[in-house]
Amino acid sequence: MTQRWRSLALLSPWLLTLALFWLFPIGWSIYLSLTDYQLFRDPSFIGIANYLALLRDSDFLGALENTFVFVLGTIPVTTVIALALALLLQHPFRGRTLFRAGFFLPWLTSIVVVALIFTNLFARGGYLATLASLLGFTPPEYGFLFDDRTALFAIMGMDVWMSVGYYMLIFLAGLEAIPRELYDAATVQGASWWRRFRSITLPLLRPVLGYILVINTIKSFQVFTEIFVMTKGKFDTATIVFFIYEQALTTDFSFGYASAAAYLLFLIIGLVSLLPFLAFARQRRSLW
Amino acid sequence: MKSMLVSIALFIAVGTVPSLSAKTTLEFWQFWTDSDIRPVLDSLVTVFEAEQNGEIEVNITDLTWADGQSKIAIAFASGRGPDVVELGSDWLAQFADTDQLLPISELVGADTSGWRGWSLARYQDELYAWPWILGSRVMFVNVNLLQQAYPDAEAPNPATFAGFQEITRKIHTLGDEIYGWGSNTAEKHRLYKKFLPFLWGNAGRILSEPSPYAPRRYSVVSSEMAIEALDFYRQLHDSVGYVDTQRGIEDAFMAGQVGIVLSGDWMIKRINLNPPPFLVGTMFVPGGRVPGISFLGGELLAINRKSRYTDEALEFVRFLNRPDVQVAFCKAAFISVPSSLAAVTDSFFVSQPMMRTMNGQMQRVTHPPVTPDWPKIEAAIERAVEEALFGSRFIAGELRQAQRTIDSLIADD
Amino acid sequence: MVTTLFRYGLLGLVLMITIFPMLWMLRVALLPKGLPLTAETLLSVTVTGANVLALLDSDGLVRPFFNSLVVGGGVTIGNILFGFMCAYALSRYRLIENRFILFTVLAVLFVPVHIVIIPLYLLAVESGLYDTYGALILPFLVNPIGIFLVKQYLDGIPTAMEEAARVDGASEFRILFQIVMPMARPALVVLAIQVFFTNWNSFLFPFILTSRSDLHTLPVALAMIQGRQGIEWPELMAGATLAVVPVLVVFVILQRHIVSGITAGAIKQ
Repeated sequence: MTQRWRSLALLSPWLLTLALFWLFPIGWSIYLSLTDYQLFRDPSFIGIANYLALLRDSDFLGALENTFVFVLGTIPVTTVIALALALLLQHPFRGRTLFRAGFFLPWLTSIVVVALIFTNLFARGGYLATLASLLGFTPPEYGFLFDDRTALFAIMGMDVWMSVGYYMLIFLAGLEAIPRELYDAATVQGASWWRRFRSITLPLLRPVLGYILVINTIKSFQVFTEIFVMTKGKFDTATIVFFIYEQALTTDFSFGYASAAAYLLFLIIGLVSLLPFLAFARQRRSLW
Repeated sequence: MKSMLVSIALFIAVGTVPSLSAKTTLEFWQFWTDSDIRPVLDSLVTVFEAEQNGEIEVNITDLTWADGQSKIAIAFASGRGPDVVELGSDWLAQFADTDQLLPISELVGADTSGWRGWSLARYQDELYAWPWILGSRVMFVNVNLLQQAYPDAEAPNPATFAGFQEITRKIHTLGDEIYGWGSNTAEKHRLYKKFLPFLWGNAGRILSEPSPYAPRRYSVVSSEMAIEALDFYRQLHDSVGYVDTQRGIEDAFMAGQVGIVLSGDWMIKRINLNPPPFLVGTMFVPGGRVPGISFLGGELLAINRKSRYTDEALEFVRFLNRPDVQVAFCKAAFISVPSSLAAVTDSFFVSQPMMRTMNGQMQRVTHPPVTPDWPKIEAAIERAVEEALFGSRFIAGELRQAQRTIDSLIADD
Repeated sequence: MVTTLFRYGLLGLVLMITIFPMLWMLRVALLPKGLPLTAETLLSVTVTGANVLALLDSDGLVRPFFNSLVVGGGVTIGNILFGFMCAYALSRYRLIENRFILFTVLAVLFVPVHIVIIPLYLLAVESGLYDTYGALILPFLVNPIGIFLVKQYLDGIPTAMEEAARVDGASEFRILFQIVMPMARPALVVLAIQVFFTNWNSFLFPFILTSRSDLHTLPVALAMIQGRQGIEWPELMAGATLAVVPVLVVFVILQRHIVSGITAGAIKQ
């Protein structure tokens, strides 16, 4: 069997899934993005008019801005905290399992439930408002989720809280792949902890780090459930997927328009997830 | 790999086995999922199936409040909607406008007099659904606070704007932790519902009434009456309001911190199941230029136009709307306002003062216009109220902008 | 000594932050129904197991629990096998078409689900998968996130062992499952955890692609508990707590296996 056929055979589960379940829905929605389709009505082809209209739609542009704030604000914080926790929990010590489970617990909980819990914590007179007053800050009068200045950041904070444990776990797996001998050799040569981290840990974590950045980029650009449950897009928290949801399935069922927004988002995510690829392109192994 | 293909084939085979029995199966999609209500619906359906001698079977699909509308839209858009569907009254126009629902005016004929709420289901002079479970809003009053505020003197008439304001003000001065009135923050789909009764009670309207001289409707949401109403609403909010989400307001009310809140019949259920340590009274919403008018909303039962079993679906809807069935359902779900007028005479509704208020308020209710543009009109109104309370605080300007937005929306049709 | 104290102090602080909302959930789950969720109520000593017991009693969550287990379990097993196969091909066979296939793996993730849900619904109905476990398992048997994860992990593992085995005349099948798979163990464990819990908690697809209440998964059943007349917090939080406890146990067991599968000899080149 040639390498090409072997490769295809191994990839067949994915190719079959793609063909059976994803190709038609994706192709259909790409087509709809070029039509004026509203649910229950016949679509007619209008070229790229939807895309052009989106670029002038202040609701869409507002959602785009909020989404970028969300992405840029959460990913670095989540990644750094997750890596730090993974490094602290890498080697066995008494209580390690407790900490691992404790940090991972938020991710085990359904996001709807998490969002409902935080709706309470963020509420007027809730725990976080009390905590803020104790620390000398003035919490927003009607709760963190009902103020233009705090709502999006409150949701971002919750998102970091929720996803840190998950990325920590992936870092932990990545750290396991680094041969212990490399550290031993470096220690013998008198390399400092920072030196070992810079020259061994980070470079060898690169594929896993790439995974984390790409996946977190995709997930963050598509943030939806938190917004839907907590603010319904009010107080400058509408994100692109929330915009798509509202357009497609609630306000006027403008499915074609929403599809166009989805494929603009597709392009944005595609370009942004290329960034880590370009950043690492000089390295020996490509990321993708 | 192979097993996956086999299972796909298997599922396809299972899915297409033709039904051999002559039994008709109706698909019914509904939202009453609460653990104390759903079993009652099941038992009612069993009664229906028995009455039909087992020739009709009803399959119930549960929908959640948050995502149910999406599922209905997805199913209808794929041409696979259920036979009978429960629709919130503010969704009806969108489905009626696109011919998804069976027009029923002819079927119903003169048969409408025993039920109320038909205007919720009428779109462009045609009925598209049966009103099933209705809902209004009334004022809930902490009577202990009221008595503290007026220990010997008679309280002013709470049915007028002036009297209402005076009472909330007096209660508000009882203590630092006591508020006169529960005022909503800018919660989506909630804030506008609180403002509209004040708008209507001041003779304001959202759209003009079509007349022979001006057959096209236009927005009048920035009329003098509307500006006055919003000004009054904001005064309550600013001077005596406990500002929180609807849930937060109701919690604060139950904790004895708020004198008066505007709420619906879920509050009656809550008070009955967990009586607070004070007396709760209910009263009609206040009015300014005209006697108070409250908000009317409700659950409608509609039949899918593509249904193959419209006769059976009709039977089922008629069954659900039968007075005795409505009484049984309302008792289980603790609902105050069934659509059947015969049902309301049952002692369950008559014996409870709060339910009596709720049904009394039904004499003076109205509802937002039934139009597919409603979600956007709602957003425009809500935005104006939000800005007037929390943002620019420019009442006339925000209402004028809402009016322009609404006019441009309805001009597109 | 100082570093140990510092480490425990830091971890303890983070643990408090992560666990506090979970404790809130547990606290509310143990409250009687209908109380306002004010600070006084939450700090009071009132504790009742009534909500938890009622849920356990009513069987309302038993079936959803079983369904979530079947769906989560089925999808996980499929993903460990298929995800690994695909990832291996993408990592080791640097063919031109594999670059494109990797792109499709990611591209599917770029598309927001709300936009493909109508055709997916139609597909499920037309194929007869609607209202079967198949609708909840088959489309997700090969999760693109999983492929990408394992592929990235394999990229970081030296190929020396495989090449040595190939020189020794081992079959490709043997290399794949007896040499590479054990080395990828940490990633496969993470994959299992991730896929299992994603499906355990997924709401949208189970809600849209099934109707029958005996196919409700846990998140769908929990959403139903909320009902229409406002959320019954204690009841909902009791359900959420019940949903978390068993998976936490599963996690504690699985996370032990995130240990290196690479033996010392593997990297001595």
